[in-house]
Amino acid sequence: MSALGGIVRSGVGRRRVQTLVMTLTTFTAVLSSVLSLGLLTAVEAPFEHAFKTRHGAHLAVQFDGSKVTAAQTTATAHAAGVTEAAGPYPIAAALDTTVGADCPETGRAGHDNHPITVTTRPGLGSTSGMDQLVLTRGRWPTSPGEIALPANNYADACFGSSVVFSSLPGKPSFKVVGFADSVTNSATGFVTASGFTRLTAAGAKSDEQMLYRFAKAGTAADIAADKQAVAAAVPAGAVEDGQSYLTAEQQATGNAKAFVPFLVAFGILGLVLSALIIAIVVSGAVASGMRRIGILKSLGFTPSQVARAYTAQAMIPATLGVVLGTTVGNLLAGPILNGASQQLGAANATIPLWISAVVSLGTLLIVAVTASIPALRAGRMSAVQALVVGRAPAAKRGQTAQRLASRLPLPRAVSLGLAQPFARPARTVLVGAALLLGTVSVTFAVGLGTAFSKYQDTTMSSGFNVASKIVIPTADVNVPWGLYGPDDPRHPYLDAAKVAAALAEVPGTKAAFGWGESGATMVGAPIGGEPPVVYAVSGDFSWTNMELLAGRWYSAPGEAVVGDKLASAVGIHVGDYVTVVRENKQLSLKVVGINFDTHGTDYSAMTDAATFTTAGLTPHIDQFNVELASNVNGANWSASAATALTPLNATVQSNSTGKALVVIIMDALVALFTLMLTAVAALGVLSMVAQDTRERVHDLGIFKALGMTPKQTIAMVLTSVTLTGLIAGLIGVPLGIAVEKATQTPMGNAIGRHLPPSVTHVYTAGLLLPLLAAGIAIALLGALLPAGWAARSRTATALRTE
Amino acid sequence: MTNAPMIDLRDATKNYDDGPPALAGVTLSVAFGECVAILGHSGSGKSTLLNLIAGLDKPSSGTVTVNGTRVDQLGEAGSAKYRRASIGMIFQFFNLLDDLTVLDNVLIPAQLAGMGKGEAKRRAVELLGSLGIDRHGKAYPQRLSGGQRQRVAVARALMNRPALLLADEPTGALDSRSAEDVRQLLLDLNREGQTIVLVTHDVQLAATTARRTIELVDGAVARDVVNGVINDGSAVSR
Repeated sequence: MSALGGIVRSGVGRRRVQTLVMTLTTFTAVLSSVLSLGLLTAVEAPFEHAFKTRHGAHLAVQFDGSKVTAAQTTATAHAAGVTEAAGPYPIAAALDTTVGADCPETGRAGHDNHPITVTTRPGLGSTSGMDQLVLTRGRWPTSPGEIALPANNYADACFGSSVVFSSLPGKPSFKVVGFADSVTNSATGFVTASGFTRLTAAGAKSDEQMLYRFAKAGTAADIAADKQAVAAAVPAGAVEDGQSYLTAEQQATGNAKAFVPFLVAFGILGLVLSALIIAIVVSGAVASGMRRIGILKSLGFTPSQVARAYTAQAMIPATLGVVLGTTVGNLLAGPILNGASQQLGAANATIPLWISAVVSLGTLLIVAVTASIPALRAGRMSAVQALVVGRAPAAKRGQTAQRLASRLPLPRAVSLGLAQPFARPARTVLVGAALLLGTVSVTFAVGLGTAFSKYQDTTMSSGFNVASKIVIPTADVNVPWGLYGPDDPRHPYLDAAKVAAALAEVPGTKAAFGWGESGATMVGAPIGGEPPVVYAVSGDFSWTNMELLAGRWYSAPGEAVVGDKLASAVGIHVGDYVTVVRENKQLSLKVVGINFDTHGTDYSAMTDAATFTTAGLTPHIDQFNVELASNVNGANWSASAATALTPLNATVQSNSTGKALVVIIMDALVALFTLMLTAVAALGVLSMVAQDTRERVHDLGIFKALGMTPKQTIAMVLTSVTLTGLIAGLIGVPLGIAVEKATQTPMGNAIGRHLPPSVTHVYTAGLLLPLLAAGIAIALLGALLPAGWAARSRTATALRTE
Repeated sequence: MTNAPMIDLRDATKNYDDGPPALAGVTLSVAFGECVAILGHSGSGKSTLLNLIAGLDKPSSGTVTVNGTRVDQLGEAGSAKYRRASIGMIFQFFNLLDDLTVLDNVLIPAQLAGMGKGEAKRRAVELLGSLGIDRHGKAYPQRLSGGQRQRVAVARALMNRPALLLADEPTGALDSRSAEDVRQLLLDLNREGQTIVLVTHDVQLAATTARRTIELVDGAVARDVVNGVINDGSAVSR
């Protein structure tokens, strides 16, 4: 090993605390950066790539065939902003389907399938033009009895069997010969022209679909304006639906993309903190190693060799941290990315290699630059100066502070500690900055975690999740949820009126309402992703904490409240009308409100059960939620209710709710990064206080010789970081709040939600006050160990130190 | 004054590593009001002996009793409180705190012991005045001469009225005039009844300051002379 190598190795080995600190800081920075940048790229890249290669449509518009001619729809190709158009193609939207009885998997045969929007186009497998369809299995249909569907719209085990359009009077059946899709879900079923004729002959309503690309289509506002321009080119009321590519992108990437904003925030915090701590540690090593530097130079080490030695002492642990951070970051990203990949029908995605390379090399560069500044100072130092320089701070600094502190009505050890930071102002500023970043991280994380919890609580403790007890059809007990679709004759329902009356008579019932999936489909709802659910609701649900974001609750049949995610995806506002279809009956509902959707489905709407009964349809109520009066014994109530409900083929069950997996993962990541950043900030303080203690060992020896007890020594050392921690807290908390606010909105946007104040208002007085102490807490945490070392240091040895 | 000695070491030994002991089975006692000089070359164990008496270190074996307190059995906190109450220390290089004023340096022992603010200040001012350096109260140590700094150190050592004053090479860093001032100061204090243990390698200082001289060689008591008479009764030829 060379002389330089030996010096570097001994330097790394001697300073274990500092080595650990540098390893941990770079690990934290790299982990969060790899995760955030990697997720952002990996999540968006598959969709972007697919959209580009398949020449996706920015907007797919469905026109009411009875209100517009083919010539008129064709002419919309010249509407303002349109750069390219394709169509018109015949389309039949939102047709209920079931899996054919010929499916070999008996558990699926005859069961509800997804609603399908069917189209036909000349040259289904064409590789030119707009919205090129891709076949992932099987072949394109070639006869009127065949169909190709997206893989996630039909059970894989039933491939080759049939799908039945169950809502059509003729109930036509098609054989599934291929899995295929449009990148923007412009349609979810592809048949030949003759196949489409079969559908319309069986009762399907045929509309016209045009596909467009626009000059300006980057945002939802752009798409809304483009849609308006198209609508203006046709008779009023002709446009039934507009499927935006942004909705398809959000469906494909939503949950994974929601992680990105807070990971980016932690990534930035981690990188800045890393650079700061590296600067603290290396400059500290230089300051305390002056005598060593003097010896090295007197032995013949050149300035360049000394500078390289100190830089290398930082690069070695930093490299270890980078390797670990990159590896763990790639491993952690796996579960999060898999969901996004599957939705796009791609192989499981990983973080692109170039992301890991850029982050690793970038971090090492930052460390090298940060470490080289004090290292170059070490190299330039004269040997004589380095050998003779004292280890105590220059007497002039801190004297005024000591004089003022001595007048404070505090124990002497405390006042000595309070004045200590002023002896080394530059070092104090660095430590303060580390504490500031630590406080920002804690504030940000606590706010974010609280928002997650509130989101979870709001989701799980409002709407259809709220109930002391639930009542379901007896035939549904122990039956897996969703086994039979809403229109499946095997799906049991409750007699809502009789059950409601029976519950009202059971002592201890405070309130109850019934609800269920009506089985209606919505015209104009986003194609692809989860199909929207139209809930029929019977009774008073005002006790379930459901939150309105706009408008009011429905008060009569024919009115509806739409969930915020559906409203955003489709562009529904209060006052608009939506059309729902059931058993081939179309019902027009007026949107009177938009609520914060907590029903657990992506897209939903609610209407009174009477909307369906008025139209001669059964509303499909299959659960009652019951609120018990306070101090009512649940078991006793259940026994009483059972007596009344059993003749109605209804059974009482306990309610249970769980935590969404994505929230669990987010909570875990937030907790992980907060712990790491707090630990790094505390280790930065530890490193600095340990060095301070080492430099002041002689002074500590004097104090102990004069009678300072170990407790007083600890108090003095801890107090020396308290003021810095307090100031860091006072500045860091407002900054942390600002970071949290800046992160919340993009996270909500990523999942298509408008988060209400009940979720976003997290910083209450009860939370802020402890947070203000976070800076002090981190400072004390970091100073605890060195304080103990100082208390235990051998006085006799310390006094001999010159 | 009682008959029990102020300081009583019994077979005190201190080992630091596998080499020869720094102190080898030292047995000695110092009476109240005595002024004793511990003489020896570098490495003879005299500073180790002082540290044991001050409670700054613990013997590997043997006992150390000062003013009735088994110093060797004290923990860290107990040892610190013992020093506050019973010991005043003066060092060769003064060991003043450069970022505190002269007055604040002197006040430290009283403040650590919890003495009232007013009482402590009065005592400090009185001591500085008696040592002729009261006008330097607001100055910082680096502005004073060596002799003045050592006077500040003496004032600090006397703040809590210690039963025992320990001086480790108190004139080692001073010029001859300042050294003489400090020597005279120690004599005056002893005349007033202060028990003093003085560690030095300066034979002249030992002879002119202390009535009794204990010489250490290789960690053991080589000679113990009182007023020219070896402690076993025989005369010493100078």
